[in-house]
Amino acid sequence: MEIFVSQIMTGLSIGSILLLVALGLAIIYGVTGVINLAHGEFVMLGAYAAWFLQTQFGLGLLASLVPIFLLLALFGWLIETLVIRHLYDRPLDTILATWGIGVMAQQAIRLTAGGELRYVQMPESLSQSVNILGATDSAYRLFILFLALGLFALTWGIYRYTSFGLKLRAITQNRAVASSFGINAGRIYRSTFAYGAGMAGLAGALVSPLKSVSPEMGTTYVVDAFMVVVLGGTQSLMGTLASSGILGELSGYLAFYSNDTIAKALVLLAIVVLIRFRPQGLFTARVRA
Amino acid sequence: MSNQGNNRVPEQIQEKGVAVFRPELRENEELERFRVSVKNGNALARTKTEIALYAAVCLAILLVPVFLQDAFLLNKYARYLVFGMLAVSLSLSWGYAGILNLGQAMTFGIGSYCMAMMLKLKTIPVHTGADGLPDFMVWNNVTELPWFWTPFYSPLFGVLAGILLPAGVAALLGWFVFKGRVTGVYAAIITLAAMVVVQLVIIDQQAFTGGFNGITDLGQFDVAGFTFDAYGSSSYYLVAICLTVTLFLALAITKSKAGLIVQAIRDQEDRVRFFGYDVALYKIFIFSVSAAIAGLAGMLYTVVMEFASPTFLGVPLSLSVVIWVAVGGRQSLLGAMLGALIVTGVQGALSESETFLDTWTLIMGLLFVLVVLFLPQGIAGAFASLARRFERQRPAPKQAQHAEPIANGREIESTR
Repeated sequence: MEIFVSQIMTGLSIGSILLLVALGLAIIYGVTGVINLAHGEFVMLGAYAAWFLQTQFGLGLLASLVPIFLLLALFGWLIETLVIRHLYDRPLDTILATWGIGVMAQQAIRLTAGGELRYVQMPESLSQSVNILGATDSAYRLFILFLALGLFALTWGIYRYTSFGLKLRAITQNRAVASSFGINAGRIYRSTFAYGAGMAGLAGALVSPLKSVSPEMGTTYVVDAFMVVVLGGTQSLMGTLASSGILGELSGYLAFYSNDTIAKALVLLAIVVLIRFRPQGLFTARVRA
Repeated sequence: MSNQGNNRVPEQIQEKGVAVFRPELRENEELERFRVSVKNGNALARTKTEIALYAAVCLAILLVPVFLQDAFLLNKYARYLVFGMLAVSLSLSWGYAGILNLGQAMTFGIGSYCMAMMLKLKTIPVHTGADGLPDFMVWNNVTELPWFWTPFYSPLFGVLAGILLPAGVAALLGWFVFKGRVTGVYAAIITLAAMVVVQLVIIDQQAFTGGFNGITDLGQFDVAGFTFDAYGSSSYYLVAICLTVTLFLALAITKSKAGLIVQAIRDQEDRVRFFGYDVALYKIFIFSVSAAIAGLAGMLYTVVMEFASPTFLGVPLSLSVVIWVAVGGRQSLLGAMLGALIVTGVQGALSESETFLDTWTLIMGLLFVLVVLFLPQGIAGAFASLARRFERQRPAPKQAQHAEPIANGREIESTR
């Protein structure tokens, strides 16, 4: 029982981090169709922002979440305006351009903050562990789990119940018709990109106490997050939620029974097979084209 | 059936030329250019100039050791040439078939490992690990040579495997992907994921593959008693000759009927399918050829570098190839190759000084973004359009009439 619960909790913890990282990517991909390979670097920048705010201004992690979100959103907004906007008709080229941006971000950090590992302090109040059904789990991981769910709910709310979300859905379904009804698609795309980037920044800040912060940390996240998005289906936020849960539990389970590397390879293989047979993802929104 | 298909290609091109009057509807610049050049009867002449250009570049490459005796530099240049070959392979699948292979390093790495396994077994009589096992196997307590290592005692098998195994793997992957009509971004992601899987397996199976360390401490490659020294002109010539051969082979393929169909698939996949061609089969073909070239490049890389490492199958290398090809011009084999030589050459030159080593990556990222934004056809594309402009300014008023709308079409394309 104890092992079982702790196994589930490990999976949930992996899944919640996946959800945090994938949420931004899913929004951007779902709405604009851009595969943002720089997403991992957004996550990395978020983690570095947390480190910077903590060491330079003594700001606690929780207090710095909002500034980090705003900072990364601004960054995303800039990227969209300068580069992505010109490439919406060339989807393959967006992969290349965003990758180039990622390389630049990585190198810029390496030049300014140095290539060595950085550590971010966990918030004092969340550093003890909690007992759940006999298994212990760190309070901070639980906090991430709930925060990830909270952020998901917030995004879902925006998507579902605000006029911004309505416009967003309209554009996703048919950009031309939506535009003819006076929706400014360019602006919606830009805000979406900024929001997604901000989310990535939050994800980076939140995982920074759990893992060491390095310029390369983004690359692993972007692959995992992309897998979540592919598995979940590109049009549905609920799919993203479900698939990060599934992938989290799956990799937790596989890592328990075999080693980490093989677990990763198996998950990747599963994804390849999935793309081949169900490119629209496991969960698809029913939308009239 | 296939005979009927033959006649359809010119028809399709013709129809395209006749039906489209409005320049903004001309979706395909390449096809337009082809049509115009056929009409003016200079398609053949253009092919001839192309061959002359390729030959000139290859000759220049082959002449380098005559003027340069520095072993270290020759080794470095040989390495660049290997990258050039890798770029040619990607140009074939990306530029000509529209398959963006983000995992081009996978087949490169497989080729490299084949060569390394063969060269490793060569050292056994000399180094004599326990029972004639490669050293890293002894460290990992492997008692007997695994079955997939044994055939590599034969050099012929090793060399063939380095070309055929990558091609086979690619054919299998291509069959899996293209039969399912997976295209574009998704195909790119699958190639990337497949490469990471292979890399993870190689790293994980340390006892059989050397894991993170790769396969090091190799023997020297020799053919019929002639040894190729990694730091000498012999290896350089080996690489340069292989490069020349593959370059012309690839050029011949792009000019062949299959090559034309592949390009048609890139531009209008459905239309080619409606004409009754087996689109997947042509894609698998070009994908495998590309993989075979990459495998050959991988083998040569092992010869030049004297080791094989899992980083050869890594994402960084794979994406670097994409950069080279994008910078050089994906739709020109020579352009892609020169792109690789230029980028790696500049990189090599700059990384000698400490300050540039760090900023170089930054510059390269920026350069790459700019190329994607403003030069989607790379340097070769820029040169081609410059050349066309000159051609237009020369007499031939008839040609100018045709060329004008093309320029318009391109303008519209770029402002979209």
